[in-house]
Amino acid sequence: MAIPGSGLVAGMGVTLRNLFRPKVTLQYPEERPTIPDRWRGRLDLIYDPFGEHKCEVCFQCAMVCPVEAIDMSGFDSTGNRIRYGLPEIYAERRDPNAYRRAGLPARPMRNAARWEEAVDDAWVDQAVDGFGGRPESLVAIFGAVQARYGYLPEPALRRISDRMTIHWAQVFGAAGLGGFRLLPAEGHLVTVCDCAACRFAGGDRLLAALEEELGVHPGETTTDGVFTLETDANVGAGAIAPAVRVDTLVYGPLTADEARHLVHARRTEAARGRVTA
Amino acid sequence: MDQAMVDALLGIGRFVLATTFLLLLTVPTAFIVGQMELKIMAQMQLRYGPNRVGPWGMFQSAIHGFKMLAKEDQTPDRADVPTFTLAPWMVFMAAAMSMLVIPFAPGIVAIDSEIGVIYFFAVIGLSVVGMLIAGWASYNKYSLLGGLRSAAQMVSYEIPLTLSIVGLVVLTGSLSFTEIVEWQLAHGWAVMWQIIGFPIFFIAAAAEINRTPFDMVEADSEIVAGPFTEYSGMRFGFFYFAEYVALFIMCAILVTLFFGGWLAPWPFPAQLEGFAGTLYGLFWFFLKTYFFVVVAVWVRATLPRVRVDQLMGMSWKVLLPLALINLFVTAAVVLAFNL
Repeated sequence: MAIPGSGLVAGMGVTLRNLFRPKVTLQYPEERPTIPDRWRGRLDLIYDPFGEHKCEVCFQCAMVCPVEAIDMSGFDSTGNRIRYGLPEIYAERRDPNAYRRAGLPARPMRNAARWEEAVDDAWVDQAVDGFGGRPESLVAIFGAVQARYGYLPEPALRRISDRMTIHWAQVFGAAGLGGFRLLPAEGHLVTVCDCAACRFAGGDRLLAALEEELGVHPGETTTDGVFTLETDANVGAGAIAPAVRVDTLVYGPLTADEARHLVHARRTEAARGRVTA
Repeated sequence: MDQAMVDALLGIGRFVLATTFLLLLTVPTAFIVGQMELKIMAQMQLRYGPNRVGPWGMFQSAIHGFKMLAKEDQTPDRADVPTFTLAPWMVFMAAAMSMLVIPFAPGIVAIDSEIGVIYFFAVIGLSVVGMLIAGWASYNKYSLLGGLRSAAQMVSYEIPLTLSIVGLVVLTGSLSFTEIVEWQLAHGWAVMWQIIGFPIFFIAAAAEINRTPFDMVEADSEIVAGPFTEYSGMRFGFFYFAEYVALFIMCAILVTLFFGGWLAPWPFPAQLEGFAGTLYGLFWFFLKTYFFVVVAVWVRATLPRVRVDQLMGMSWKVLLPLALINLFVTAAVVLAFNL
């Protein structure tokens, strides 16, 4: 029989040893974890204002996942079971409102006239084929289109949808992810990340410096039309906070002076007449 | 003015000075104990604990106190306002008043009472009334249940707590804390004479001041906060304050009764008299007291909360018989050897 109180003494011993053991807490933001290059963030099922899962079993996340880590299955609006990857890995969900929500535009349309812009259908087809036309290359195709047009014109998205035989709602929804514009910006688009990690690491100082440098507030364009300043929560990946995106390039971590320098360089180019936006 | 008048005035002045000083002493005491609790418990749980406010986060508990001050002080609609206000005051005063009889060092005691031990246990027991009042005045059935829980617990543990030191009183033949300390100067620390009495006192004291593993009264992770459910702002802060002060006081009394009070572990140097002797005594007293505060925090970081029936069973079936045995054995020994 154990001596009464021996467990108590053993427990006290454990806590006493812990007192002198090295601590495991990571002192964010002074210390940063090393994040693998292919890390894409946390998987999370988010909820809509009605309290239902926002997941519509659209497979977009499974398609873009570079390491194909996501399998899912569910029911479409007609009750047919659909799946991506191995079936029945995650709980299945029946959602009669999938189409209704999928039909909502991902972002409000601010300028419907510019939205309808002619695109080179042949070039889009070529871009799609160039990436193999597979669903998981959708983001790469968007990148190519945005690199050419500066944003994702709706006709181009329609063309991608037709060419790849992916539902329009899925293409549109994927285009609503961070990093893509659905409307053209005037001049260079300077986007300061306002996600929590970036703001914590000094993103507000970056924004203030850029506001001072450009003389405009977020959402405005400079009087010479060379820069548009905006904020967005999807610029950086936390590990490079605070981050700034200029057109399609992401920079970080930045100091206020480095941010000013980014703007200076492009302003000098614009003065030489090389800007094409 | 005749001599009696002068003595009386001096006595009043001394009392006012002592109480003022002790009331002021509660403030740093509560903050230091609170800070130790935050920091040591964090370290034992492999966390860093507070490390942002001030150097090594040492102002964290002070900031907690100021936060309490800044919060809105709400009173429930149908609360009994006078008693609702009185309760935190009562719990706090029970702790603060019991400090009056603690001998910190030779000559440093507010009231060197002949019945200091009785006074101490009478006054520290008043906090039960405060808790019960808090539960009743809140006009909330959960508060009332919490108040009754705390009354049941604290009244049950008061009996073994008090009985555990009766043996010591028989042994030393005194109810004065100062004389008990002086007895230990001659006979060695009382813990050596009261090997059963000390653990009973330690366990019962933890229950009496609602320390883990007997903190069912508050049970932060299970019930809302027992009798404090409806309290907010500084009134709630006062309960917290009193809890930390009570922890310090219980450790101080433990040291006084069982670990020689202001006495050093080796014989008290006779040549250290006057101011130097006082400082030397204060040093040992606070060192030993804070050692037991750390032990209490250590226990809190280690042990889970016990169930109510285990708590009650512990008091009535284990501690009380042990305390009685301790008392009878001590009395028999004192009688037999004519100590």
